[in-house]
Amino acid sequence: MSNPMTQTPANTGTMMVKGVVALIAALLLFAPFLFQDTRSLEVAARICIFIVLVASFDLLIGYTGIVSFAHTMFFGFGAYGAAILLKQMGPGWTPVILGALAGVGVSLVFAVVIGLLSLRVKAIFFAMITLAAASVVLVLASQLSHITGGEDGIIYKSPDLFKTATKLAVDEDGKVLRLWGVRLNGKLAAYYFVFATSLILFLAMLRFVGSPFGTVLKAIRENEARAEAIGYRVVAYRTAVFCLSAAIASLAGTVYAVWLKYTGPDTALSFSIMIDILLMVVIGGMGTMWGAVIGAVLMILAQYYLRDLMGAAAEATANIPILPQLLAPDRWLFWLGIIFILLVYFFPKGIAGTAMERGAAKGGGA
Amino acid sequence: MTSPSLETRDLTIRFGGHVAVNSVSCAFHPGELTVIVGPNGAGKTTYFNLISGQLPATSGSVIKDGVDITGLSPSARAHHGVGRAFQLTNLFPQLTVLENIRLAVQARSRAGWSMFRPVAHFRDLTQKAEHYLEATRLSKLAHQTAATLPHGDQRKLEVALLMAMEPDVYMFDEPTAGMSLDHAPDVLDLIAQIKADRSKTVLLVEHKMDVVRALADRIIVLHNGELLADGDPAEVMSSRIVRDVYLGTATEETA
Repeated sequence: MSNPMTQTPANTGTMMVKGVVALIAALLLFAPFLFQDTRSLEVAARICIFIVLVASFDLLIGYTGIVSFAHTMFFGFGAYGAAILLKQMGPGWTPVILGALAGVGVSLVFAVVIGLLSLRVKAIFFAMITLAAASVVLVLASQLSHITGGEDGIIYKSPDLFKTATKLAVDEDGKVLRLWGVRLNGKLAAYYFVFATSLILFLAMLRFVGSPFGTVLKAIRENEARAEAIGYRVVAYRTAVFCLSAAIASLAGTVYAVWLKYTGPDTALSFSIMIDILLMVVIGGMGTMWGAVIGAVLMILAQYYLRDLMGAAAEATANIPILPQLLAPDRWLFWLGIIFILLVYFFPKGIAGTAMERGAAKGGGA
Repeated sequence: MTSPSLETRDLTIRFGGHVAVNSVSCAFHPGELTVIVGPNGAGKTTYFNLISGQLPATSGSVIKDGVDITGLSPSARAHHGVGRAFQLTNLFPQLTVLENIRLAVQARSRAGWSMFRPVAHFRDLTQKAEHYLEATRLSKLAHQTAATLPHGDQRKLEVALLMAMEPDVYMFDEPTAGMSLDHAPDVLDLIAQIKADRSKTVLLVEHKMDVVRALADRIIVLHNGELLADGDPAEVMSSRIVRDVYLGTATEETA
């Protein structure tokens, strides 16, 4: 028996956002067939992994209201775990699985210690402590070069299944079979490994935020003292979500390490990744999960293709004064900055957040 | 007489040199509605904070059904059946009215650690939340966010949250503060219903004398953090000392 008064009203904004996310999911699913070049596949794989990374950060900042700067640290634990073992033990699934477990294990230890020591204190101190921990780990990674490869990082081989030379299917001549012009080789298998693990992790996070646990997280964000007063142990919940988000970030790191076959401070630990994650979650919309998808896609596409686009635009406007200089590819960061400012100005709650809110105001009402 | 549901023994808190609550010993019994009166700054809200755990006691103890809960966190005290509504509205502003109440129902059922089943599958929680929506006449506002409600409805939601916790001890801190005369009776009716149950212990901080007269089984008077008087409403209200320290000033203030 359900009271019709309390059914959730339909919301056009939410429908639109979900539609866009479904479209992105479809494009990523068929990416190897739709965009048949190496660079596009790199971009697609990076998008998959960053969706997971940004969504796991959204669990903290958007759902629970915890500001952490240690998210790349956990990502790095997972990446370095797999990288170090793949280097030491040679290619295979055992080092990948052990690396993933080691990454998650170290991440959980760090998350529990940081959480219990500092989640009771004010948000700003917590943010500072995560920043300090992340800095220490970054320094360690570049100093302990006999283990981590230092600034140069580690190059290694991924499991045999993912080698470009691996043939998933062969035709009668013994050559690798093609499907719609795409070679069914190890590279394809690697992409679908990335896609499938990212999808599973993202769907798991959707379950978390839709569960009673997710509602407690939102309650803590909205009013910590009242959440405690009605009977939720806030410190325990905050520590739990910090651990959960750290474990997911670590797994994303392992997958990225397997895909890239290279792990170094720039790909797995640097603060520029942390800033990227922050921008993606803010642009996409905090506390929505869908925002992570939209933010990651926009930001990565801009990082990879804005230069090309501007180069083309500069050529097209070659005869007009000033414009070609403004649009010169070297100025891509300038334009990226302007785009960010405009996005934040027009979508104060992020693209997904603002769209869902406006849709609710128009369609649902009360 | 029945054994007390809630008891404070020599409960004291000091802020530096200032003693906000000074050695207050008092027992509260099931089926009894106790109104706590006293001038502003007498320590009424601080006394509540000590009982529900928002502030740690400097000395003394809080006993719930014979169990010492003095050292426990507010959430642990809530699970011991001590429920509290706040003087300043203290809701989850960006969540809907239904979500607000469901959170309180869910806290009691201890379903908060369930991480994988969608909320919609917990029918019993939603039904119970809907029950409290109806009881507090907030059903029509179920999907409005708490922040968008008018003040009077926010006060009602504040009470609904406390009711949805289903505690043994209900603590109301000026539940009708700032409410218009049309809305205040709704909240007072809810408190009267809880009182009519006769199994609940109710503590009520209230200034309005007509409310005190209508609801109180017993009145205690706090003054400068000390328990000044305790007893039958008519007796306490007519006592000389209470008239001097409290009623003389309070009637001017709340007029």
